[in-house]
Amino acid sequence: MSGIVGRADRANAMEDLRHVGRSEVRIDGLDKVTGAAVFVDDMDFGPDLLHAAIVESPHPHARIVSIDTSEAAALPGVVRVVTGADFPFTFGLYMQDRQVFARDVVRFVGEQVAAVIARDPRTAREAARLVRVEYQERRAVFDPLEALATEAPRLHPGLGDYPHVPWFFPEPESNVAHRRRTIRGDLEAGFAAADVVLEDAYRVPRYAHCALEPHVVVARQDRAGRLTVWSASQSPYTQRHVFAQALEPLGLSHQDIRVITPYVGGGFGGKAGVSMEILGAVLATAVRGHPVKLRWSREQEFYNTYQRQGLVARLKVGARRDGTITALEHHLFWDAGAYVEYGANVVNAAGLSATGPYRIPAISLESVCVYTNLPPGGPYRGFGYSEFSFGIESHMTRLARAIGMDPVEFRRRNAIVEGDLLPYGALMNPSGLHEAIDRAAEAIAWGEEESPREPGHRVGKGFALFWKAPAMPPNASSASFLKFNEDGSINVTVSGMELGQGYLTVMAQVVAEVLAVPPDKVRVETPDTDRNPYEWQTVASHITWSCGNAVRAAALEAREKIFQVVHAAHGLEEGSLYLEDECVRCDTDPDFCLPLRDFVVAGIETPDGTYRGGPIVGSGMFMPEFSSTHADPATGQGGHPNVHYTVGAAGIILEVDPETGKMEVRRAALAVDAGKALNPALLEGQVTGGLLQGLATVLYEDMRFDEAGRLLNPNFTDYKIPTAHDIPDEVVPIIVEVPQPDGPFGARGVGEHTMIAAAPMVADAVEAAVGIRFNEMPITAERVALAVARREEPDTWAST
Amino acid sequence: MTLTRSFTYVKPGSLDEALALLAEHGRAAAVLAGGTDLISWMRDDLVAPEVVVDIKGLPGLEAITLVDGTLRLGALATFSDVLRSPVVSAAFPVLAEMAGVVASVGIRNRATVAGNLCSAVPSNDAGPVLLAADALVQIAATDGERTIPLAEWFRGPRRTALRGGELVTRITVPLPDRHGGCYLKLGRYRGEDLAQASVAVLALPGDHYRIAFGAVAPATVRAAAIEESLEGRPLDEATLAAAADLVPEVISPISDLRASAGYRTHMCRVMLRRALRAAAERLADDGPPYGERLL
Repeated sequence: MSGIVGRADRANAMEDLRHVGRSEVRIDGLDKVTGAAVFVDDMDFGPDLLHAAIVESPHPHARIVSIDTSEAAALPGVVRVVTGADFPFTFGLYMQDRQVFARDVVRFVGEQVAAVIARDPRTAREAARLVRVEYQERRAVFDPLEALATEAPRLHPGLGDYPHVPWFFPEPESNVAHRRRTIRGDLEAGFAAADVVLEDAYRVPRYAHCALEPHVVVARQDRAGRLTVWSASQSPYTQRHVFAQALEPLGLSHQDIRVITPYVGGGFGGKAGVSMEILGAVLATAVRGHPVKLRWSREQEFYNTYQRQGLVARLKVGARRDGTITALEHHLFWDAGAYVEYGANVVNAAGLSATGPYRIPAISLESVCVYTNLPPGGPYRGFGYSEFSFGIESHMTRLARAIGMDPVEFRRRNAIVEGDLLPYGALMNPSGLHEAIDRAAEAIAWGEEESPREPGHRVGKGFALFWKAPAMPPNASSASFLKFNEDGSINVTVSGMELGQGYLTVMAQVVAEVLAVPPDKVRVETPDTDRNPYEWQTVASHITWSCGNAVRAAALEAREKIFQVVHAAHGLEEGSLYLEDECVRCDTDPDFCLPLRDFVVAGIETPDGTYRGGPIVGSGMFMPEFSSTHADPATGQGGHPNVHYTVGAAGIILEVDPETGKMEVRRAALAVDAGKALNPALLEGQVTGGLLQGLATVLYEDMRFDEAGRLLNPNFTDYKIPTAHDIPDEVVPIIVEVPQPDGPFGARGVGEHTMIAAAPMVADAVEAAVGIRFNEMPITAERVALAVARREEPDTWAST
Repeated sequence: MTLTRSFTYVKPGSLDEALALLAEHGRAAAVLAGGTDLISWMRDDLVAPEVVVDIKGLPGLEAITLVDGTLRLGALATFSDVLRSPVVSAAFPVLAEMAGVVASVGIRNRATVAGNLCSAVPSNDAGPVLLAADALVQIAATDGERTIPLAEWFRGPRRTALRGGELVTRITVPLPDRHGGCYLKLGRYRGEDLAQASVAVLALPGDHYRIAFGAVAPATVRAAAIEESLEGRPLDEATLAAAADLVPEVISPISDLRASAGYRTHMCRVMLRRALRAAAERLADDGPPYGERLL
């Protein structure tokens, strides 16, 4: 990247941008609306394809006494039946606490115990029912607080032996898989200095991602021993790595494994890491030469992938009457489920940031990852921030009211700014939080009364701030390859995933900007780990920032080569060259104009008939070189675990029918500091989608389990996700642009952030409308109506 | 979607052929019309028919007609057919109001009104309006036809008066000359949902009311006690309150993951008051348009 000058660099300084910052049409759009886009389930694997079905635990906690597969194996059409005895492997992303198949113990209802591979899906399913498993039931625990009790059943006696990343602190002899503490300042003095101290608890249930495309994997180990896995995944490289770790006993290493990931029908975190895909990978090794397909049903999608973890939070915040927050103490107890190989990092992320975006001199955060006998928790859009923000933001409004201050003004006074200390002691990055507060408040006419549309209804407004940092290992990285074609078009390979967010389009825009070609001449290919370069994962809202930097670096390298070739052939100074409209031009020779297509593969012919140059390629990589998890385990101080925070503010106007409890979102406004909106239309789509998903979690979504740990609503009949009818009357996306210094064109991620504020601002608006504060999600129409009815007619409701 | 069990699929071309098949296989046969319940029940192994008799090829069963003041709904009439029917919108618009809140457009295009009655889940949408209207179920079998009042049709969750070998051919509704109607359905959000509770009200001249509730008892229930309390009284606040107070005597809701018994009861009271008002106003040609959201 060094030594490059020219006009295009001035463009990169955010002036005169031609493609970045414009709402370019998405490059995958036509293929998706016409059905041409290929997803894993669309792929044809020929007549050798076999199908797998899974034998699942009916118990939340039990010892496996015996497994009898003989009847299943005898069914015509069955090829193999396998159990944990065949594959006694463990796996996991951040902590290897999961088993490919449960062996001695099952820990949640639905856990995989055995698998049948058959010639057709129906036979596989039928045979799976014939596998006889004898269990000895054990006491189960579903509540994180109960699981912390000394007499609670211990889920993982082997906890002390599980390999894990160095920033986890498991507590063997308990159900605590990890405890993150972040402590700074004098808490006691802080609370003593406060005029008002507010203390309360908040509860958030589990949620499901509900991507439209269920998890699906096809895997084949060819006769040469090479394992290829096609999966619906957010994480091809991380999958390859986890497969390589888990299958090492079979002699497989990274070079023997290939992961191919075509388009994905939504992820929201649920397709990050490795969940059911490990089954595809191991089953393929049992029937070498045959591709094996495993596709989750909608029910399995709910109970055996990842779920968003439940949270019980105890929060105490003090403030002076002048509006200054003096101290904050936040204890977070996470219902992390039966395995926490990914979920423990959600707990960790929350434990670093559960102050919210506020400047607070004394803080104590304790975030505890607790094993329970529910399905494994894991990543979900927001990565813990939505969960803790429900309490934090609810609390901030209540505290402001308690000291008699306007809740927006209270937030303005305490909102974090560049250079303030972060919870773990590093400094806050540049941010437009105050601009976001002002613009979101203005968009909902904060402070002005609204009249209801219907007689008898009440209107309330709510307001919340949000922040979130990517939760990544300190060396999470991205890479990109780029090559020119004869017609001057470009192929870019990356290994981030197009999840619907428009990532491929934005990467094409970055290349188009640097190399002065139209975005529709840039093909960005979906990942194949044999061909596309490394990417950590498409998670953490980091892909625009991290992969965008890698793609930009690849384009800059290609541009440098272009200038070198032109210099070699024409003698023009490299520093005088620039790209414009698919041509190389020269500052010092206005008539010079060399179309890219004339030479980017063929080279440039010189007068003696020889050629200079050759096929132009570029490569780029990006890794943050300032991030570190080295810190004092007791206080979390001293490291730099998060690269930066994206911040924003949101407000809502809610109309409530107090009789029915029905709530209508009349307007939701959300301002987010994107640094630089590389594609404003796609960003506005994130705001709309994120708000809708967040509003659903507070208004009606809710995973419900019975007393035996069985999920009662693993379907869309009873787990409600928003339809077109449920979109707010008006969504106001507001883009704030305070550049991120190390972001491509100043950009930072926004994808997850757009849902974080939804729940607390609804709680605020409900309180403003009907005078009742809810500390537990979801805040359904039923809960609102019954709370109002109990208040209005206490006699009628005395017995209920 | 994988159906694990195999079955024989038959698509008869005439009513006689269909009835012969049903007579031959009795309870081992299932009738397929829209299939929106049957196929998912088969997938979940709630039913395991040996023979599936697809009646979509039977002629004439999709018709919606008005004959001598009686509305006739063929067994193949879908909710979308009802929504689009000029006969329904002119003569019995509350039926279209009901059809408009059933599931989603795709389901409404397939699901039949008669099938909804045959499935007889407590939350069925067709039941309350048709029960309030004293509808009749026309049934055919190889040994003849019979007619059952809807009041005698529901026998419990997923249980009806239909016997093995029988086929519902038509629903008939003897329409009152003048009426105002209202169907209100409680869902968990605006999108498609099963009724958590529902109420149908028909207001007739002279302050006569016919009322039925859905999803708050093992079967759709007629609210005779409330009808009597309202008989001949103009709807004022006191009358409405007295009617609402009778709700707990009429319904027997359960608490499940969809709603608590307490909320169902509370909402039946709220919905009854709103539906009575709307039906009475519509009778007087002064009410909200049919299909307008009142919840």
